[in-house]
Amino acid sequence: MNTWHTLKDNPGLWRRYFLRERVIRQIRLFFETRGFHEVETPILIGHPAAESYLDVFETTLLDRNRKPTKMYLSTSPEVALKKCMVAGIGNCFALTKSFRNTEVGDSLHNPEFTILEWYQVEATYTTIMEECEQLILHLLKTTLSERNRTDHHQQGLALNPQTLSYQDKHIDFSRPWKRLSVKTAFSNFAHIDFEEFLDLKKARAIAKSRGYVVAGSTTWEEIYNQIFLNEVEPHINMAKPVFLYDFPKAVGALAKTKKDDPRFVERFELYIAGLELADCYTELTDWKEQKMRFDDQLKEIKRLGKTPYVYDHDFISALKAGLPDCAGIAVGIDRLLMLLLNSTDIKDTMLFPAEECM
Amino acid sequence: MSTISTADFYKGIFVVFKNEPHQVVEFQHVNPGKGSAFVRTRLKALKTGKVQEFTYKAGDSVEELPVETHEMQYLYPEGDAFVFMDNFNYEQASVPKMLLGNFVKYLKINDTYQVLLHEGEAVGIRIPKKIRLKVVEADEGARGNTVSGGTKTVVVETGAKVTVPLFIKEGEMIAVDPETGSYVERA
Repeated sequence: MNTWHTLKDNPGLWRRYFLRERVIRQIRLFFETRGFHEVETPILIGHPAAESYLDVFETTLLDRNRKPTKMYLSTSPEVALKKCMVAGIGNCFALTKSFRNTEVGDSLHNPEFTILEWYQVEATYTTIMEECEQLILHLLKTTLSERNRTDHHQQGLALNPQTLSYQDKHIDFSRPWKRLSVKTAFSNFAHIDFEEFLDLKKARAIAKSRGYVVAGSTTWEEIYNQIFLNEVEPHINMAKPVFLYDFPKAVGALAKTKKDDPRFVERFELYIAGLELADCYTELTDWKEQKMRFDDQLKEIKRLGKTPYVYDHDFISALKAGLPDCAGIAVGIDRLLMLLLNSTDIKDTMLFPAEECM
Repeated sequence: MSTISTADFYKGIFVVFKNEPHQVVEFQHVNPGKGSAFVRTRLKALKTGKVQEFTYKAGDSVEELPVETHEMQYLYPEGDAFVFMDNFNYEQASVPKMLLGNFVKYLKINDTYQVLLHEGEAVGIRIPKKIRLKVVEADEGARGNTVSGGTKTVVVETGAKVTVPLFIKEGEMIAVDPETGSYVERA
């Protein structure tokens, strides 16, 4: 049964979707009171950022003579926001739809999803950790209706705006949240010495000895993530939100290298009750480094047989003109709603999940 | 035995994991932030019934375990197993309880099921998408559970409890999705 039909028969369920409405409104309010500008970023773009781990949607723009130009649906508002930062907008955010192809058929993804990104001038990832705590606490306080609270309460939760139950877990949101470095996490949970593990040869040997398939083409990133998913992620503390921080450079994406240890970048991911909700960097401002990473990513896109494109060279020009020192974060709003709704399926948060639009 | 890739996974497929026969009871694609693609599975060990999680790299090769499907009638429970019989050759097979998971609640004596055999040993049954069950206990309960809006709980002939719309009455047949245990329709 499609969602509209279920709702017609069961009006009590509207509260799920009205929660989204309140969350969106409160996010805007939160940033407005902090003096952030909201940017309407483009969804239809000719040149995405080069990101090999994503598959883009491709479409065709026709001019009046029906002459075709390839266009794509934006996978995140990041590049547009950074161009605005270069132009001098100051602190800013976007709350928009983004699109990622192939991300279909599981409970944590929808190919069209709602993303919040915000960027703050002269900030680093540690500043953003604090803002993240404040934003989510603000949402807990302002968006859960009595009914939502009652639902949580029925699962044994005290009506305290700093706690929430998700499935069988009780999460304590009081500040400060847990901060855990990738290196410590690997050492504590997988008993891996990260210094050793950073070396590709040694990493391959460690993975093999633990029974993982290691082929000639297996990359360090694959080994890292497979061990992370099997041996680290399941043990990340569920009783408090956790900032997992300082990622190895190979999974550094657009993050700035750490000054005191160039093998790592200033990046964190936010985990709440096992859900990965947000990804933040102190932003890379060096255009040469950015161009090099994009070129590598593009090679990887071709090797993997994903939809190819010409990446956004205008973004490189913008970086040349000078991106101010800043940090930024992307938050998956649909997943955040899963948490607030105590749901295990992202479709529960959407009036029109992709499967119902096909 | 044949080698397949994680792209060939489906719910219920039998594979070799760490040299032991397992069944994939659940799988999901996962992309760690800024990382390549992986497939997270829940694997049930056929010998012990123990379920564990394992995450494969998308595209990893995996050994598939060959299984045969036999139409068999469920006869009776026996200890920690259920006895089934093939009505053509009268061969019997004993399916351990631990391999059936939640479906145990919906097994009906004398009904025919598709029993899965590996080298002559029963390793499970193919779980149907929906099953017809008679409601044997239902309250009139007009108000129902207001939180979930217009539903009540009834007992079906196998003893399982099912949440149904208020209009379902004792003696009616309903279809249930054994996977989720949820009501599908009047049947």
